[in-house]
Amino acid sequence: MFRIQSSRRNFLSVGSMALGGLSLPSLLRAAGSQRDISCIVLFQDGGCCQLSSWDPKPEAPADIRGRFKDISTAIPGVHFTELVPRSAKIANKFTVIRSMTSDVAIHDVARRYMMSGTRPRTELQHPSYGAVVSKERGPKNGLPPFVVVPDREASAEAGFLGSAYDQFVAGDPKAKDFRVKDVGLPDGMTLDEALSNRKLLQAIDRQFEAVQRSPVIEAMDQFSQKAFDLVSSPSTKKVFHIQDEPDALRDRYGRSTIGQGALLSRRLIESGVRLASVYHGGYDTHTGHEPQYAKILPEFDQAFATLVEDLEQRGLLSTTLVLGIGEFGRTPKLNPAGGRDHWPGVFSVVLAGAGVPGGLVLGKSDAAASAVVDRPTRIEDLGATVYKILGIDAHKALDGPNRPVLINKDGVPIREVLS
Amino acid sequence: MWIRLTLTVLWTAAVWAGEEQARLQIYPDRISLAGPGSAQQFLVMFTGASGVSEDVSSSAEPSLDNGAIRIDRAAVQFTGVTAGETRVEFRARGLQATALVKVGAGGGDMAVRFSPDIITILTIKGCNSSNCHGAIAGKSGFKLSLFGYDVKADHEMILTAHQGRRVNLQNAPASLLLKKPAFEIPHGGGKVLPLGSPDYETMLKWLRQGAPLDAGGPTVTRLEMFPAERTLLVGSGTQRLVVIARLSDGTTRDMTREVRYETSNEAVAKLGEPGKMEAGSPGLATLLARAMGKSATAQVGLITAPAGAGFRHPAPQNFIDELVFAKLRHMNVPVAGLSTDEEFLRRVYIDTLGRVPQPEERRRFLAATRPGRRARLIDQLLEHPEYVSYRTLRMEDWFRNTQLFSQGRPMGAFRDWLKDQVQADRPYNELVRDLVTSIGDTARNPAGGFWMPVTDFMLNKFDPKAATPMVTRLFLGLRMECAECHNHPLENFTQDDFYGLAAFFGQMRIKIGQGVYRRTWYLDETAEVEHPSTKKPVLAKVLGGEPLTLPRDADRRVGLADWITSPKNPYFARATANRVWHAYLGTGIVEPFDDLRSTNMPTNRELLDRLAEHFVANGFRLKELDRVIFNSATYQLSSQLPRSPGVSEELERLLFARYQPRRLPAEALLDSISQVTGIAQTFANHPPGTLAKDVEINDQPAYFLATFGFPRRDLLGQRHESPTLSQTLHLMNRETLKEKLEPEQNLIGKLMARRASDREIVGEFVEHAYARLPRAEESELILRHIEAQAAEGRSRRRTLENVLLVILNSKEFQLNH
Repeated sequence: MFRIQSSRRNFLSVGSMALGGLSLPSLLRAAGSQRDISCIVLFQDGGCCQLSSWDPKPEAPADIRGRFKDISTAIPGVHFTELVPRSAKIANKFTVIRSMTSDVAIHDVARRYMMSGTRPRTELQHPSYGAVVSKERGPKNGLPPFVVVPDREASAEAGFLGSAYDQFVAGDPKAKDFRVKDVGLPDGMTLDEALSNRKLLQAIDRQFEAVQRSPVIEAMDQFSQKAFDLVSSPSTKKVFHIQDEPDALRDRYGRSTIGQGALLSRRLIESGVRLASVYHGGYDTHTGHEPQYAKILPEFDQAFATLVEDLEQRGLLSTTLVLGIGEFGRTPKLNPAGGRDHWPGVFSVVLAGAGVPGGLVLGKSDAAASAVVDRPTRIEDLGATVYKILGIDAHKALDGPNRPVLINKDGVPIREVLS
Repeated sequence: MWIRLTLTVLWTAAVWAGEEQARLQIYPDRISLAGPGSAQQFLVMFTGASGVSEDVSSSAEPSLDNGAIRIDRAAVQFTGVTAGETRVEFRARGLQATALVKVGAGGGDMAVRFSPDIITILTIKGCNSSNCHGAIAGKSGFKLSLFGYDVKADHEMILTAHQGRRVNLQNAPASLLLKKPAFEIPHGGGKVLPLGSPDYETMLKWLRQGAPLDAGGPTVTRLEMFPAERTLLVGSGTQRLVVIARLSDGTTRDMTREVRYETSNEAVAKLGEPGKMEAGSPGLATLLARAMGKSATAQVGLITAPAGAGFRHPAPQNFIDELVFAKLRHMNVPVAGLSTDEEFLRRVYIDTLGRVPQPEERRRFLAATRPGRRARLIDQLLEHPEYVSYRTLRMEDWFRNTQLFSQGRPMGAFRDWLKDQVQADRPYNELVRDLVTSIGDTARNPAGGFWMPVTDFMLNKFDPKAATPMVTRLFLGLRMECAECHNHPLENFTQDDFYGLAAFFGQMRIKIGQGVYRRTWYLDETAEVEHPSTKKPVLAKVLGGEPLTLPRDADRRVGLADWITSPKNPYFARATANRVWHAYLGTGIVEPFDDLRSTNMPTNRELLDRLAEHFVANGFRLKELDRVIFNSATYQLSSQLPRSPGVSEELERLLFARYQPRRLPAEALLDSISQVTGIAQTFANHPPGTLAKDVEINDQPAYFLATFGFPRRDLLGQRHESPTLSQTLHLMNRETLKEKLEPEQNLIGKLMARRASDREIVGEFVEHAYARLPRAEESELILRHIEAQAAEGRSRRRTLENVLLVILNSKEFQLNH
């Protein structure tokens, strides 16, 4: 592609985000396909230890297998560890890939890699899954297409696609008085007061704009209007109002960030959000691995299993892809500090919904869970699979800086998980 | 080159931005035809005093000094008649121009050669483009080199790969190579080579000759498009282009109809049939022609009318203005007036200190005696401690100072080191040399932290292939990453050039130093970088240079640093000048600002050259570069709309006709909000009173900084400058502002404590935030609002908090304008 880059183009494309723009029916008509698949990503910060979760090695020496026992699952002959009992019970509803492999062991790079399906390059920031989905699918029901829980995430950025497709940050729904970040009126502010502030702001800006005009000003105007719509609309606030969920269900998901994040994500995709990512901290255990995993992994287990069941009960599982992924694996051997360090050579991920088969265990690691022995699967392959399931052409060229950039260039879709 | 000419006129006659001299020119004016029968299209161009060009090829009167060639007026071409040399002269509008045409002894019915003939067809038809068979993976099993840079591989692919199924030398028309593009059988790329078309016949002829590679034939060394720059009037219709190839045997070849054309701006210059363009609407466009893996560019400017005698501009302050205003006059883009003193004050404070000026600073400036007070203020600000902090921050962006890559790069040490360099105004060439040749313990020699972004510190692995594009992009403005896998499609760089550069870094090794978080660089003197296709070690080679044979124990990087920082390096000073210019004007003279490949033309070539010369002449000092830019009337132009409407905003921006408002960077916005409200921001792990621009650890930035584009610096590239929804929401909702608006001891509290009237308070708000006094109607507007709020029973304090909230949310505050 040969063009003089114009920042104006980015500013104009902002308009296509159209929060509160198109109506639901018109969007559905526009989409015109039954494969309107949403996606929820449960992300394990630091990378989940394969040995402590989906790929136990009970036969291995103690300093490899660790202290967690293996348990049987709904699939005869398949074992997980005792830290994921809820998932074990519904193992017939999702796929485990035990042969993921990469060579990136640096957190930030690995996160971007995993959340985009494309190996990060220093000169070109590839858009994340959520950003590509925002661009390719657009908003539905006036909601931001791509929401991140709990905080702003570098690995969720839109890269060269530009800020219009960036994440919308929801905040942490675990908090007792959770309110979606910056949406809704601040404490003690009435709508009247907000309206009169806005009137004053518009009057002041009008004086400035009487003599000024530039793309940056136009873009600020658009956002300002959208922001106010979002803030003043009771329905947006309601979508994020997780407190409306029954207490029993909230308990079933677990009152953790990942649990409540998963539940909020379900509410969001139910209402029109295309992709929601929940980031779950605490897997980077260079010391004291086992006590930490005993605490953290059951939170994930509870959230993941409940999410799959909840989606199924609501008839949403067939149209929602659920991913349980992290940055990489952890070292097969416990280190002297009782920790496990970064290990990209082999690790496991889980996938459910949207036609992904239940009860499938794909690929195999060696006796120490240190290398792949069967069906090596690259992060690019997972990326190609995700796009295939979401109905997005992975070989479509995006308008990159100075050249076309494919959404996913090298991945080979994992045919075993495609229905 | 007309700009060059303009300048000569300009300097000698001391009439800057004056009229140009009318001239007549023949393009191309040095031609070497292969032999009798060979032809070359030409252009006779008249350029008037206004700088507007006109094609007078058909009306100009020719004369020849012998009969070696004839002139075909209808086809507008020279055709070789007999071997020899002739001088062609054209006369028009009282001017004359000459060209020299040689005719060789070759010729007759020339055989079709694979290169350039067949490769050219593959290029024009798009067969070897990146979204077709030129893709890295090829298409449907058939892979060609991108735009034909690898002739041998392409020939092999066509002739022998897949058991030679693509050609049938016994029955040439039955070859897959013809049947597919002629769509005699299904072809994913469609019918691109219709049966019987000239290109089809050429391919057929080549196959009937036995499809030779003829690698011994001449190769294209250079492609040129004419004229390189021209200005046309809107409505001047179809215009001709001429493209010539210079071949390795010294001859030239007319490529006008044999290249693939692209335009950067369809609205300005739309491509027509090969060798033609349509003049469109006012603006600038770059045309690109490519063939045989080479490319050439030309710039076209469209204007509605030449600037008249009424063309106005502020008085030039230095060479920058003379060049900028000359270009604006040439393109007839009205120039904005000079900013007011208050506008200038706020702008230059934000750009130098990273914050708005305080009321006392404003008053002091306005009280200073008039002639030269702007220049004196600039001098003062460039010596201000906050300038050192803010400049350091910008340089941390360049070199991506972040903890992300490595605890092995002590961020604080690297920042401190950079800050020392800025404080001392260390010549940039020396600073770059320190970075490029850094060695040893990164804690003792923090410059070694420079490499961390291309080092995997977990695996203690350093990648010369990642270091290469980082170094070329930062210091040369060249994006070499394409050339890692294939010859650069938009630049005359090859994969060999890439590996020649990578070889400079081949000796570098990293090991764990003392303690987990320290790393030490050392050299493995014998280590080499291997070429991916030859699998042989590559000799270090600078761009355009010869391979270096160095003593085995030499640090190769020294050779690279010598070349990069040499005053003769064609890229270094330009890349740096453009980078700094972009930082202060918002748009580079070349855009993107760090992409100075030859096909990416500067909007004002002379300006970039002169800025670079100024930088070199002043000892590569960045502060001097800052100073000359800040002192220019161009930087000091008003951001307000010019009086005459209808001028393309794009042109205004590209040619710097007015100052373009920009968002305050995250740190500047936060420091300004803290200053206006009187409530300092606190940062984790930093002592109270630390300013945002001095925050060291950026991998866990506060939500505010992250939201407003504080870069994580893990990627090369600029900050996110475009506004986002989250930004608007975040400021509107007082979350960050609450802790600034509500404390008793803030600006509001202080003003209320001294019983200031509403009018006085509004005045203070405006002066703090906008660095000016309120206009009467503005005060009235805000006072009416305050009154109305009181009538609704809202407390005065609460209302004043809301007013300040609104002012901090206003565009005038959030923009540097």
